[in-house]
Amino acid sequence: MAAPEVSVTAIRVPVTAWLIVAFALLAVFVLLQLNSTAFAEQIHEFTHDGRHALGVPCH
Amino acid sequence: MTPSTLGAVLRRAALAGLFAGLAAALAALLVVEPRIDDALAIEAARSTSDEEPLFGRATQVFGGMVAAVAVAVCLALVVGVVFARVRHRLPATTDFGRAALLAFLGFTTFALLPALKYPANPPGVGDPDTVTERTVQYLTLIAAAVAVTWLAFLVHDRLAARPWPPAYRAAVGVAVAAVGYTALLMTWPASPDSVPADIPAALLWDFRLASLAELAALWTVFGLGFGLLLTPRRIPAATMA
Repeated sequence: MAAPEVSVTAIRVPVTAWLIVAFALLAVFVLLQLNSTAFAEQIHEFTHDGRHALGVPCH
Repeated sequence: MTPSTLGAVLRRAALAGLFAGLAAALAALLVVEPRIDDALAIEAARSTSDEEPLFGRATQVFGGMVAAVAVAVCLALVVGVVFARVRHRLPATTDFGRAALLAFLGFTTFALLPALKYPANPPGVGDPDTVTERTVQYLTLIAAAVAVTWLAFLVHDRLAARPWPPAYRAAVGVAVAAVGYTALLMTWPASPDSVPADIPAALLWDFRLASLAELAALWTVFGLGFGLLLTPRRIPAATMA
């Protein structure tokens, strides 16, 4: 039986923490991926250089 | 004290993400923007419309830097939650090592693999009609790369039942990831776009390298910053030689 390499205590992660993950990913999506809606056009144009620079598909 | 609550981990991740975003924004300004200017000059020479742009160039340069900071903080929070969830299972001996490992995997899955399959393009290259298709390709590749990374850890953990040295398990895990990533790059569909003839190959190469430099700055500063912030400031006196 192999012993665990290092013992550190597990950090308690409540299920709600994954809401933070979902929200953060949604924010990245809105900032970088969203196309083709009127609301998106403002964000798209504002972050346009950032989209290209971060390698996200764009035109 | 090493942080032992989710909140303490997330505060450190967010701060490291802020620094990472500032580093990426600086890289954007110094390395990427000159190449965007070159591409915009080509686009302008091509254009026959005199449509007024929504924002001026200075605003867009600023917007690109704001986007880099915002994206870095968001990705940092994602990695922060993942770190808290898997810290006790990561194969490293310090929190610095664990943070560096996660940041390296973040760079590989979120930046390097998509950059290899769908390299960044400056303005004036992408076809507006295919942007949704290209976005789906790009995002599904990232999702699949995350799944492969997870699979590699799953295999690594399963091997814990065997009386192997940790290095053997690590090697198998890395091999699973490498084969999996290669399979993804080979099976995912090619971008439907072709590069317009008036875009010089040198500009394309320089832009792609600059884009990768910005992403590397983001993930490197995040990994180092997160790892350092997780490290206790003083070595407990009892453990010093």
